[in-house]
Amino acid sequence: MPVIHQNRVSPACISRRGSRVKSFGAKTFQTSPGWFSYQIFSVFLALFLVASWTGLVAAAPAQDYESLRLITEAMHEISQKYVWKKGEEEIIYGSLRGLMNSLDPDSSFLTPKEYQQVLSGHKDQLAEAGVDLVYKDTLLTIVAALEGGPAWRAGLRPGDHILKINGHLVRNLTTQEANRRFQGKAGTTLDLQVLRNGLIKPLELKVTLEPLAPGGVTHKILKDSYAYIRMPAFTPETLAELAATLKQLQRQQPPLRGYILDLRNNARGSIDLAVRGASLFIGDKEVLTARGRPPEPSQVFQGRAKSEIFKPGQPLVVLVDGGTARASEALAGALRDQYRAVLLGSKTVGLCGLTKTLPLKDGSALVMTVAQCYTPNGQKIHGKGLEPEVAGKTPAVTTPGVTTPPKLSPEQDPWVTQALEILKTGKPRKVAEKAEKP
Amino acid sequence: MTLRKIMGAALNLLLTLVLCWGLSLAVSAPANARSRNASLQMASLPEVISPATDAKLKVLAQALALVEEQYVEPKTPKDLIYGAIQGAVSTLDSHSSFMTPEEYRELQIETKGKFSGIGIEITLKDRTLTVVSPIEGTPAYRAGLQAGDQIVKINGAATKNMSLTEAVKSIRGPKGSKVTLTINRQGFPQPKDFAIVREIIPIRSVKARVVDGGIGYIRLANFQDQTDTDLQVYLKKMQQRLTPFKGLVLDLRNDPGGLLEQAVRVADEFLNSGLIVYTEGRTPNQSMRFYAHPGEKLGVPIPMVVLINEGSASASEIVAGALKDQKRAMIVGTKSFGKGSVQTIIPLEDGSALRLTTALYYTPNGITIQDKGIIPDEVVKEKEIPAGKSLQKVREESLSKHMRKEGLTDKPWTQPITGEELDQDPQLKRAVEMIRNWPPKKLAQQTK
Repeated sequence: MPVIHQNRVSPACISRRGSRVKSFGAKTFQTSPGWFSYQIFSVFLALFLVASWTGLVAAAPAQDYESLRLITEAMHEISQKYVWKKGEEEIIYGSLRGLMNSLDPDSSFLTPKEYQQVLSGHKDQLAEAGVDLVYKDTLLTIVAALEGGPAWRAGLRPGDHILKINGHLVRNLTTQEANRRFQGKAGTTLDLQVLRNGLIKPLELKVTLEPLAPGGVTHKILKDSYAYIRMPAFTPETLAELAATLKQLQRQQPPLRGYILDLRNNARGSIDLAVRGASLFIGDKEVLTARGRPPEPSQVFQGRAKSEIFKPGQPLVVLVDGGTARASEALAGALRDQYRAVLLGSKTVGLCGLTKTLPLKDGSALVMTVAQCYTPNGQKIHGKGLEPEVAGKTPAVTTPGVTTPPKLSPEQDPWVTQALEILKTGKPRKVAEKAEKP
Repeated sequence: MTLRKIMGAALNLLLTLVLCWGLSLAVSAPANARSRNASLQMASLPEVISPATDAKLKVLAQALALVEEQYVEPKTPKDLIYGAIQGAVSTLDSHSSFMTPEEYRELQIETKGKFSGIGIEITLKDRTLTVVSPIEGTPAYRAGLQAGDQIVKINGAATKNMSLTEAVKSIRGPKGSKVTLTINRQGFPQPKDFAIVREIIPIRSVKARVVDGGIGYIRLANFQDQTDTDLQVYLKKMQQRLTPFKGLVLDLRNDPGGLLEQAVRVADEFLNSGLIVYTEGRTPNQSMRFYAHPGEKLGVPIPMVVLINEGSASASEIVAGALKDQKRAMIVGTKSFGKGSVQTIIPLEDGSALRLTTALYYTPNGITIQDKGIIPDEVVKEKEIPAGKSLQKVREESLSKHMRKEGLTDKPWTQPITGEELDQDPQLKRAVEMIRNWPPKKLAQQTK
């Protein structure tokens, strides 16, 4: 029976299933003294807080009391006047979800039951739809959909808004909880009402959950010896595949003239995986820095020298878009700032933070972002996203039809064509060579 | 709410694109007259809170403090508490919501039916702030602003990258103050400044036309403070102009509703007696019955057809339901939205407010509209939008039509609706036919 600490720190950019309260254990991380003191500090802070809550209002500053008064007033009105009688627990938990959801998509609330499941490492949710969603401003939006996954096959695409799940309006969720709705037992079907930009009527789509096939990295040698690599998500399996692919391509004779790494529509993966992925390209250089709220110390994440496969000085264009989030964003930022790659496409999502799970006195818990990722050059990713140096050309406006657009082959893909043009201009080569100069 | 907002946007093509304050209104009882005292009392009286609630509130307080202390970015207590109230309210039905002080002020402007500004409808067209139309008789109209004018600057500030809301905000201002718009128009060698003095602009929710043969056409865009008064003006004008006044088409299509009190008044214009609507809430003071007053307001009880569609909600459904149950009018079109609940606006201490569902309403025959909607006496479908046509495209077409003054209600009310216009609108066409051949079989049988 493990001891449950008041404060456990966990990477937010994590595969959603299970391990939310996993602490940093991976050997790849240099556990800096700063980090250690951070944890000590947190425990101290928590003790302080617990102590102060025994005398709740008395210890709170006057302003807090004011705020509390407003919500008490609102709840009183609801309990007195709302047309149907409503359980107070539901309302309070609703307000906690609302509170956490107003912060950022990685922050969320766990009911006592949900928290218990997280603590016990509950893992019966083996099947899923293969989508990554964000719930923001009352809209549930698909950030990324795994190509070939159940949701993708059902016709869901990044950017779609989910209005209803099984006939129920989407409301009062957190991003985490919304994502949990798309996981469950294999064979479970979800009836979705989906609003797609540009369509007048919502689409009705049916998705059946299934266990996802691991992996999915593909590559193709394009005309004139350029390589295209597609990374659909960050998992231990895809990382192994990426490493194998890179190894194989590096041995290619005659040598390849340039690489395109496609990180579009890729919103899944922890910081740990991002660091391991970056190591393949940049060895032991800095991947990112996680900065907490001052005076909390920062933590620098570095790769491992011996993981480096991609030989320095080779031209690389990384494709990113509005579905590039979490691990793929961190990787894109590192490759750009370490002068290895030119980013092409559109602005990324801006989801890269570290969360901490904080239990509340009634057994529920908060999951809260306590640190945010910065690229090696100090650019904040979380909440901002990365703006690529080269904007992907917007496709000619076509009338959106009811049918879902298919996945284009690299040769048909306008951004891949654009990336090839850039590779041929020699700019990425200069960028990559510059990295080699001390 | 999400769905409703989005559906509302889809259905209310013109409304949403023209007025950024023209969001769909819920049926609201007049803003609750709860006194400030009551709220202060409540907050300082712990005995109204049960021990269980108190424990739960402490959990919330703990969460608030943790976020304030440890969240990666400092947050003001107000932001956090608004997020929490938003969350609490979203566990309720989709028509209940929380409004920040700013949103609440906007709502008040909407329901009052007037605001201080210059009187233009604006939109973003190709990312440029564009005048949809100046409202007749307003300062903007007198200053010579025209549909299609591009607003380059507002008081010297470039409008590029300005949102529609921001633009509306900076154009509006206190009565008597001045705003300078820099306008780019085809034919101008360079952008020209228009200095315009703001005044009180009424928002018209009632528009009218006539159909040959003594038939009046009245369209209600929503139900706000001025709706009934404006309706009376048109009814009087029609009585004078149309001799004989043979019939009336009341168009409630895409009318998202508004004030309950106005719905009752509008229905009362056409009814002499009997129940219009009744509400039932959890507490006795939320249960009310509304009756029509004697006295024929229209002179003679003329044939009447009410047009509804999926965009007709709440207040529209009350009017349609009352006129249907009392057999005063034939209902033509498609099934209405089905929103049978009443929301009360409850102001909170700091200027924010709750919009809370406090009662359900029933038509005189005791039928709830919730999720069912009003079923027309005769179903007539709208002209179909060709499949594959995008919302954007429909909006643009509708906008340019409006800018060219080709919309049904964009012409002077005295100009009769042409046969061509009727062909474009099968529901209205059927309504006119019905009045010309009054009484329809169905109504005649019912009355027997």
